[in-house]
Amino acid sequence: MSHVCDFMRSDVPPPATPLRFLCLEDNPLIVMHLEQMIEDCGHVFVASLESFADLREQFDAMAVDCVLVDIDLADGRTGPEAASWLADRKVAALFVTGQERLAQEFRHLVVGIVAKPLSLRALKAGLDQITLRGVAK
Amino acid sequence: MTDTPQDHADLDHVLVLAPYRRDADYLRQLLSEHGIEVRICSTGDSIAPYLSASPGVLVATHEALTPDVVSAVADWLETQPSWSEMPIVVLLDRRSHQAKIKSALGASWPRARQIFYQRPVTPVELVSGVQAAFLARLRQRDVRDHIDREIELRRELNHRVKNILASVVSIFEMTQRRADTLETFSEDFRGRLTALSNVHSAVFQAEGEAVSIQDIVDLTFEPYRLSGDDRVLTEGPLVMLDREGGTTLALCLHELATNAIKYGGLSTPHGQISFTWGVSDDDLWARWRESGGAPVVAPSRTGYGTRYLRSALSSLFGRPPVLTFDPKGLIVEVEGPLSRVTRNPVG
Repeated sequence: MSHVCDFMRSDVPPPATPLRFLCLEDNPLIVMHLEQMIEDCGHVFVASLESFADLREQFDAMAVDCVLVDIDLADGRTGPEAASWLADRKVAALFVTGQERLAQEFRHLVVGIVAKPLSLRALKAGLDQITLRGVAK
Repeated sequence: MTDTPQDHADLDHVLVLAPYRRDADYLRQLLSEHGIEVRICSTGDSIAPYLSASPGVLVATHEALTPDVVSAVADWLETQPSWSEMPIVVLLDRRSHQAKIKSALGASWPRARQIFYQRPVTPVELVSGVQAAFLARLRQRDVRDHIDREIELRRELNHRVKNILASVVSIFEMTQRRADTLETFSEDFRGRLTALSNVHSAVFQAEGEAVSIQDIVDLTFEPYRLSGDDRVLTEGPLVMLDREGGTTLALCLHELATNAIKYGGLSTPHGQISFTWGVSDDDLWARWRESGGAPVVAPSRTGYGTRYLRSALSSLFGRPPVLTFDPKGLIVEVEGPLSRVTRNPVG
């Protein structure tokens, strides 16, 4: 899959090149905060989408390495479906959500889980998991 | 509490246990004539699936109550949810030792309401007994539905509180990051929280959790609009937004208004601002325009307001806004499908 770079395989050191992130999140305040923190971590915020429907429609046109996925989106509790859809495409994803218990149920679909309310430290730890472990499962 | 079939069942039929064939047929005919659905567990059938189908009322003849049946019913009663008290109508023989049977069944079936009749029983008596049992059962079902709704509301409330706290933390972090002094931080943070709180009240008071763009506009400009002041022009048709959309628009207008007061169209005595919106074809458009304020320079770094406007308006309209830092005044324009913004299909 072209979205996934070689450095994302396991036991390869983290990249010097920044990763390109998409946020699947329907609260613009959270999007703004995520955008800021992604940049703080030296990565690139590409865009945000607010529903699984938007993701299916627009994802292929975006050059994205990783996706941050909330559980509850504008079209319902579709975060797990979105994570599964991304896993099928071998795209690394993190759950970023206040619904941690639900996220745990779908833990196998994602590289990690970041709890809300957001903190830079927790998000950075999540992003590091992606750069270190990538999508190799 | 684990989910049992009764948690969702209609409890709408009678289960009859009457091994003497004619008894069961007679009961079916009698109850059916009064509009009551009857299912019959015949001799030799396992009773378990019949119980799992969640009958509203159980009717059993004396002969049906073998030790196996009594214990199967007892086991099933154990699994009942807390709101349930199963009505069981028992038809006893005149010559049986009634007191002993009643006390034995009472001990075996603690979570049931037992109604005893001595045979022969008149049809009127039996039908009215079963109907009364049904009514009691329907009241239990109402209690169940009420409990379900309350659980659902509690979940939704928890969800919303968590969301709002996550929003507040993000507002806090983003405000703090750009504040040079504690005073500016306090002022900005308080302003943003107040805007969030005001729109919450407006949406809560509105019918059906929807609020019009005009309401959001009034809410935002109320504190700034002096009476008879024509420096703030707002105009547009009736367009309803849902809770999230209304909140997003209110926070955007708050950022624009406070920026205009500090640096823009409302920072000089004769400056003006206008916020207009309209519908053309299936799109909703909105335009913010300032004039007569201090000369505008494009910001050297992306501030909270700019970042939020881009994020929020892209999310609300499905397309990014266009921000023009015209020296004569800031212009913000955005448009997107009306159906998306209002989350209702057009037409």
